[in-house]
Amino acid sequence: MRRFRELVGVATAGLTARKIRTLLIMLGPILGVSAIVAAIGINESSKGHLKAKLQELGTDLIVVNASAGFGFGQDPVIEAAAVARVGRLPDVVAVTGTRQLSDIVTVPFAGAEDYYRAFPVPVIATGPELPATLEVPMVSGRFLNAFDKESSARVAVIGRDLADEYGYLAGESRTIELNGLEYGVVGVLDWVLLEPSMDSAVFVTFAAAIADWDLDDPDPNRLYVRAPTNTAMVAKEIPIVVSLGGPDGANASVPTDLLDAQSQVDESLNNLTKMMGGLALIVGGVGIANVMSISVIQRSSEIGIRRALGHSRGTIAVQFLFEALVVGVFGGILGALVGAGVVWGVAAQRGYTMVLSVTGLAGWALVSVGVAVVAGLYPSSKAARLEPLETLRLG
Amino acid sequence: MTVASPHREVPVGEVVLALEGVSRVYGTEVQVRALDDVSLDIRAGEFLSIIGPSGSGKSTMLGLLGVLDLPTDGAIRVRGTDVTRLADAERSRLRGEAIGFVFQQFHLIPHLTALGNVETALLYRGLTPRERRSRAMSALEQVGLGERHDHRPVQMSGGEQQRVAIARAISTDPGVVLADEPTGALDSRNAENVMQIFADLQSPERAICIVTHDMHVADATRRRISMLDGKIVADELLGGPSGGRVATGAGAGS
Repeated sequence: MRRFRELVGVATAGLTARKIRTLLIMLGPILGVSAIVAAIGINESSKGHLKAKLQELGTDLIVVNASAGFGFGQDPVIEAAAVARVGRLPDVVAVTGTRQLSDIVTVPFAGAEDYYRAFPVPVIATGPELPATLEVPMVSGRFLNAFDKESSARVAVIGRDLADEYGYLAGESRTIELNGLEYGVVGVLDWVLLEPSMDSAVFVTFAAAIADWDLDDPDPNRLYVRAPTNTAMVAKEIPIVVSLGGPDGANASVPTDLLDAQSQVDESLNNLTKMMGGLALIVGGVGIANVMSISVIQRSSEIGIRRALGHSRGTIAVQFLFEALVVGVFGGILGALVGAGVVWGVAAQRGYTMVLSVTGLAGWALVSVGVAVVAGLYPSSKAARLEPLETLRLG
Repeated sequence: MTVASPHREVPVGEVVLALEGVSRVYGTEVQVRALDDVSLDIRAGEFLSIIGPSGSGKSTMLGLLGVLDLPTDGAIRVRGTDVTRLADAERSRLRGEAIGFVFQQFHLIPHLTALGNVETALLYRGLTPRERRSRAMSALEQVGLGERHDHRPVQMSGGEQQRVAIARAISTDPGVVLADEPTGALDSRNAENVMQIFADLQSPERAICIVTHDMHVADATRRRISMLDGKIVADELLGGPSGGRVATGAGAGS
């Protein structure tokens, strides 16, 4: 232990005597470790962000799209009876169908017809349970309700972005024109994270759509299904209960799975960055070996003196190894700190919560130590092999 | 050069360093016999010099006496142990314990203070930092540099640097101090000062051996060994009421 402390003391004295050189050889481990730590940290933080988002969306929502069977030309739909069958599946707690209506021109105020003809606002027919199924609250007013459905009243709910665009005030009595018919706005739906297109959509009941336009039946072309348990299994069952072997089909997917897949894509980028960091570490190691080899030549007289003072070849080798070790330790620690700083900066800038594994930091710092020690092997053995007589130049 | 009291009466003790029939041959194809079958005993308490012109083999002899080199033939005994049979670690340990070096070019480590340089000789000996420091300080005080312990070599004169080197050599209480042209890089005043320090360092526990080509330096010691062509040609006791050994020239040529 005492010998260990003495070696560390000699190594640090040797390193601090040549500060610039020491800093330069430390740069390799610092860059390598910080690159790796930053790559992993940023990825973990963004994954954490994604996970938080997944949590918010709920991982138990299934989206079902109608798919064309044998028919041609017609928009595929899911029959109302099939919707009911999905609703009866075990594990399913809520089902709501939507259908985006085509060729409806929405005009929020007089004189805006040309603009909204060019940039149509989506109009979606749906049922009263949509906010509950999507777990999205209302910003103001109410959603479509059973009475609207029964009476095919001309009422509409608008998405939050559309409300902002219209300058809609909460509680305001206001109508919008859908293909020339005045609909009363009764509420504003909050942002729907899973379906951003809904944020600027108009919602009406199927009944009103059938009464006012040439929609034949209340069949949706998309279902939102909430199944808190056995979500994956339910997603597999739905196409079967929808088609029942018939020509109609449906695709069911869990949108949060897509986000998961997205994080997998990030993984490969992350690996690339890690590899580059590893490369930087190796290059740093080569730099250490290089600079230390030159250092051994320059310090040959010091080595000769130490040998004359009774330090063995082994001690000289270990002393130089310790210099490499100290470079690796400090380079690793500094690199980990710099990397953590980068992660902190990026997380703060993107609004992520910083996710950083402390054991990971320590681990990569250790890798830097390992690289430095391996790099120090050659110069150390070179120092140990020096003949004291040749370096001391006796009279 | 005159030294005030080089011939302090010091009893001569046991053999601390011995060459037994030592030869050293350099080169493989063209062989140079730098040292040819030389035997020499150095006893505790002796103050001796090895003198000879360049090429006489005295540097080779110094390297062998200091166990920095190994002989082609013969044995080198440090406190009775034949170092040619030891592994490097053991040999290095013995060198560190038994021998102190003083070089012509001082050979201080430039990035360390005077104290740090002396402490370097005391490393890896199981001393506590406090013990190491106090031993180094007392060695520096012996050469009169206690107050300059935190100066680096570049901040010191040549004479002071050589005194630091002497402090380093004696800090380990070696049986032999080997000095290689210790005054060679100094002006006459500093050289005199250094020789005075060597004279004062004589003790029954240690031998002081100065290798030089300077007759004045050699004359300031008590025993003078003259070398020529790889052989000892004279081994004589100098002046003073030594009453010790008789200058026999023993070992010369043998």
